[in-house]
This record gives sequence, C-alpha cells and structure tokens, in this order.
Amino acid sequence: MASAIHPSDPLAADGRGWRLAGRLYMAVGYFFLVLPIATMIVFSFQKGQFASIPGQGWTFQWYGKLFDDGTLLAALLNSLIVSPLAATGACVLGFLAAYSIHRFRFWGRGAFSVLLVLPVLIPPLILGVAFLGLLSRIGLQGQLSSVILTHMVVITAPAMAVIQLRLGQMPSSLEEAAWDLGATQFQTLYKVVLPFALPGIAGGWLLAFTFSFDEFIIAWFVSGFEQTLPVAVYAYIVGSVDPSLNAVGSIVFALSMLSLIGVELLLFPILLSQYRSGDD
Amino acid sequence: MVAADVPQSIPTGVPEAAATAGLNSLKAVGIGVPLLYSLTFFAAPLVFLVVLGFWLVEDFQVVPALSLDNYLDIAEHMFAKSNYALAIAQSLWVALTTAFFAVLVCYPMVLAIVYVAPRSRHRLLLMLAVAPFWSSYVLRLFSWQILLANKGIVNSGLAWAGFENLQFKLLYTQIATRIGLIHYLAPILIVVLYVTVANIDRHLIQAARDLGATRWQAFRRVILPMSRTGLLVSTSFAAIVSFGDVLSGALLGGGAGASVLGSVPLFSNMIMSEYASSTNLPRTAALAMILVLVMVLMLAGGAALAERTKVDAG
Repeated sequence: MASAIHPSDPLAADGRGWRLAGRLYMAVGYFFLVLPIATMIVFSFQKGQFASIPGQGWTFQWYGKLFDDGTLLAALLNSLIVSPLAATGACVLGFLAAYSIHRFRFWGRGAFSVLLVLPVLIPPLILGVAFLGLLSRIGLQGQLSSVILTHMVVITAPAMAVIQLRLGQMPSSLEEAAWDLGATQFQTLYKVVLPFALPGIAGGWLLAFTFSFDEFIIAWFVSGFEQTLPVAVYAYIVGSVDPSLNAVGSIVFALSMLSLIGVELLLFPILLSQYRSGDD
Repeated sequence: MVAADVPQSIPTGVPEAAATAGLNSLKAVGIGVPLLYSLTFFAAPLVFLVVLGFWLVEDFQVVPALSLDNYLDIAEHMFAKSNYALAIAQSLWVALTTAFFAVLVCYPMVLAIVYVAPRSRHRLLLMLAVAPFWSSYVLRLFSWQILLANKGIVNSGLAWAGFENLQFKLLYTQIATRIGLIHYLAPILIVVLYVTVANIDRHLIQAARDLGATRWQAFRRVILPMSRTGLLVSTSFAAIVSFGDVLSGALLGGGAGASVLGSVPLFSNMIMSEYASSTNLPRTAALAMILVLVMVLMLAGGAALAERTKVDAG
C-alpha cells in the first residue's frame, strides 16, 4: 500500500464539495448495507405479524415461539453439528495442503493448489447436483455426514488461503533450527510449525465455519430430511410470513458478530502484518 | 491464495539424519490426504455429473445408460412449455445487469473510503462493510422481503411520512432479485476493489494534479485505468455468482419475477424447482451441464470484450 507521504490528499486537497459528496455517498452506502440487518433485529421485537411503520409495540413473543415450535431450533442444532465438524475437517485438509505447498517442490504442485481452490469458483448449484449424484449412488445422501463431507470440499479453500498467508510469514530458519537441534520431521511439524500456524488455523476455521453455516444450495440437495438452518429457514419463508424468522436472524447475527470479532482479532493481524524475520 | 507463490528456500545444507527421518511419509500424508479427498469428493462428483446427464430414470429408478434423451427433451422444450431459452435469457440479463450495477455502486464507495476517509479509519470502514456478509444470506433475504413488500416497511414508512403517492411495487420482480444480489455481493466487491484502489500509487495522482490535471482528469486518466483489472475481476465475479444464485431469485424474485423480458424464472431457479417436483436427477444433471456451458460462454464473451476495450484504450 502507498504510504501516506502527502499529508493532504491529492484528490481532495482543495475540494470541499468532493469530500462532502464522498461522505454523503458513504453514508447512503452504509445505510443500504445495514438496512436489512437493522430491520431484522428491530422487527424481531415488534408485535405485528406483518412488519410496517409505525410499529405496533414491543414483544418477546417471537423468541418464545421459536423455542416452542422447535423445527428451526432443531435445524440450528443440526447446523451447530455440521459446521464445526466441517470447518475442523477443512482445517486439517487445508493445513496439510498449505504446508505441502509451502514446504515441498513436487511434480504437479501448481495443479494441486488449483484443484484445492477450484471448488469455490464453481457455482454451488452445480456442486449440489454433482454431490447428490455421486452420494446417492453410494448411499450416503440425506444424512448430516453427507453435508459435512460436501461442505468440506467447498470450505477447504478459504481455510487453506488463510493458513497459507500465515505460513508465508514463517521464517524458514525456524524449521531449520529445529532440525539442527535434532527434531524429526514430525516433531518439527508438531512442535514448531503447528504452534506458529495456530492463529492462521483459528482464523481459517472461523472463515470456514461461517461459509458452512450459511451455505444453502448444497445442503438443500444432499441433506434430505436432516435440514441445516438455511434449508429450514428457506422452507419456512416459502411457507409463511413469520416474525420468528427475525428472531432466528437476530440470534444468528449475534453469534456471527462473535465470530467476526474473533476474525478481527485473528485474521486481520495476519493479513496486515508483513514478513518478519527470525526473531519473533 | 496469493501467498502460494512466495518463494520459500528449502534448506540446502545436508540435513541431519534425524531431519530426514519421516520426510517421505510426511510428504505422502501432506500431499496424499488432501489430494485423495479432493479427487474422491470433488473431482469424482463433477466427472460423474457429466456421465449422469446421459443416464435415465425408469420406474423411479436411476438407471445407467448412454442416451441423449435428457438433452433432446430439453432441446425440445427450449421454446415450448418450460421455455428454457427464455429462462437462460432472463438469467443472463439479470446476472449481467446485476454485476454492472453492483460494481457501479461499489466503486464510488471504495473511492470515497480511500480518498475521502482518513487512513486510520479505513480498517473500521472495511469491517463495517464486511459485517453484513457474516449474517445469514437467507435471513437477510427474508428481511428484504418485509422491507420491499407492497405493504412492507419501505412503503408503509413512506406513507407514514406523508408520501402516500410514492409507493413501489418491488417484491417478486427481478428488481428485487437484483437488490438482494447486490446487497450480497457488495461486501466482497468492496474488499476486492479496495485492494485495487488502495494500491494505486498516490504519487501518480499527485503528479497528474501538479501537471495541471483537474480532479476529473486525474480520475479518468490515472485512477480509472489503474483500477481496470480490479473492475474486470469484480464484474465477472459478480456475474458468475449472480448467474448461479438461486436464493434471491426464489425469495425476492418470487420464482418468476417480472423484468423487461417478462415474468420468467431464472434458469437456476428452474433447475431447483424442477428437481424439487420431479427428483429426476439425470435430467437435473443435464440442465446443470447446460448452465455450466452458458456460464463458460458468458465468461469467454466477457474476456473477449475486455480484450477489445484494452485495445481501444491503448
């Protein structure tokens, strides 16, 4: 990134009008970005079934209904089984792949990394049909494990990318020192590389978790009756207008804000820090 | 994804005996496990998808075959009954216009962040822009439903504020589909474009200004050309995502939302609803293959167009 050599911005040095326009534009843009989320939170506490302005008074009834009804809650639990496991699997695969690419020169190395990144470039709709096609031939469709196995394919790439960024910051002298001191390959991996990569793995895990938690169409195809949250929510929306959905949305948003803070703490330092030489 | 190419020196000194211990098994596990997983659960399903398109359903059972029936049947219904051709046209129209407007809306946003906001605020502003991405997409679309409904929040809010005559009929049109998609794409596009624009050397802009370029000329001659790659990448990314998306078209477009092309469903929605009603997997596979084909053609067209504009600009 260009460093701030000029204290005054070249584009805005004397342009008050431009600055004002830019600020206004940003305000409108952020309003648009936040609008549906704010709506969701506000109207999860509003009495009327059909949201409108002015409001019709405050209530907790939709949260209560959510816990009484159970279908969405069951789906939320399914998702809370699927996504952590899929994210963990993706991190194992992602770490192994990232380390191999980082460490070894081997035939087909480029193709190897392309193969692992490719799933995010293919529309999930296509993958959903493809996964169901194969899984149904081997009797693996319609279970939570089918969602886990297929989500892992798609979320390995983001996890791997973050871990690669972290490994790229690892000074090679670190591993060499371990070998010189008599550590075996596996000891070095376990005691030196893994601890160093841990922030990257954690950041990658959160990213992978978020992708899996929000993934719809693949789960729609392969999950059968074991619906994950997005699939159950979709079925619910198509069926009716129910502010309970706002309640789910608010809960999910609160959960993901927690993971966003986690990402902020883990991911951004990795993305922003430069390569540091051996002494840390 | 970028870091893959960081050159990493392999220790050249002769390794100790201990160091080589397990080197080959480490290599085998490190490369073998991800490779095997990828081949089994990613490559194999895709290859099988191609094969599956030639299989048939008999007595509710999928049976292996080498038949063109699925494709012939789809070809027959291109302009009749299901009208696949219209759905493909609708998808292309919605995806391309969505991509265009999404980038058109996000680019000035990024310019404002980079050139108007103080540098110390950039990180916060980016965090804020990315925040919606972490909330559930399906639930955000539900939120847009209650915002855009005929008696929804936008319209009732306008009426409440005294604008009874200013009412919008947006829900279950492809305009609503685009709104949902643009909201979904915006965080990603803002990050991609931010990386592009923030990396433009400010000295160049300063030089242009010093040499007497107006603010507009500096933008037109320096910033815009240097954003070209970022703009092309984000436009094609937005087009691909929009083309393959099912949720916005189903929930905001209402399945067969109206556009200038008429009330025609998106091709992706058609694939999903046909599978839901028929569970005919081979036929769905054939439709999916057609979607892939159209998408590849769309990308090739885009690449050709980009090449032409490059020549024009040069």
